[in-house]
Amino acid sequence: MFEITYDIVVLALGITAVLAALGVILCASPIYCALYLIGNMICFALLFLLFHAEFIAAVQIIVYAGAVMILFLFIIALLGGKKEIVEPSVERSAAFSFIFLLFGELLLAAGVGSTKPIEGQLTPDVLSAMGSAKAVGIELFSRHLISFELASTLLLVATIGIICLAKFSYTPARRRSQ
Amino acid sequence: MTLGNEFVLIISATIFCIGAVGFLIRKNPLIMLMSVELMLNSVNFLLIGYSSFLKSLDGQIFALVIMTVAAAEVVVGLAIILTIFRTRHDLNVDHINVLKG
Repeated sequence: MFEITYDIVVLALGITAVLAALGVILCASPIYCALYLIGNMICFALLFLLFHAEFIAAVQIIVYAGAVMILFLFIIALLGGKKEIVEPSVERSAAFSFIFLLFGELLLAAGVGSTKPIEGQLTPDVLSAMGSAKAVGIELFSRHLISFELASTLLLVATIGIICLAKFSYTPARRRSQ
Repeated sequence: MTLGNEFVLIISATIFCIGAVGFLIRKNPLIMLMSVELMLNSVNFLLIGYSSFLKSLDGQIFALVIMTVAAAEVVVGLAIILTIFRTRHDLNVDHINVLKG
């Protein structure tokens, strides 16, 4: 009985995530797109919880659904969320056919793929006995230290880039002469 | 668990392709950035799902790194959009065809 319930919850969350993703690209107004994206990220966070990745689920809620989406909403409020009129064109249908081809190829590659998985020892029981955050921390600071340092360097570079963009912006020559 | 890794693959591929379609058909750069977020999120979901199936934590570490990349990318992208809007007062990506301000 528990197995069926777990599966139904996972399936419902997956379908909700797909519907929210469709809402992101189909809504005309950017503010509704941002709200659908928040819904999509919360669905993913709940799926992470069901896949025994509690720490990543918390980070997903705090970083994505919190910080990044607040930034998006702030920029939308600053620039004014105008509705966008979409008209069918050749580029649009070409994009659709290209992406559907890509989708089919992805599914085919997933079905055909003969890669051999390497299984680890961290079963859900071991993880819950140790704690998700502790396990991720031990892994991050022992075997993946270089990627951690690279990520921090990336954040530093992004900060410097933001300061440059904000500080050295200029008014265009046309508008200055008016 | 009867829902196996095929479920994770299908959901992830679907959302990745939805994000790619959104990136190609929308004209508002904010919504294009949101589509990129969708694609990154679907990859995160795949990594977490396989980290659970394979009983290894490597996928979760990769997902953390991808989250860092996504945060940096969003911040820089939004700053560029804001700079373009300050100089051109227009947000349609089809009208932005020169790099000169």
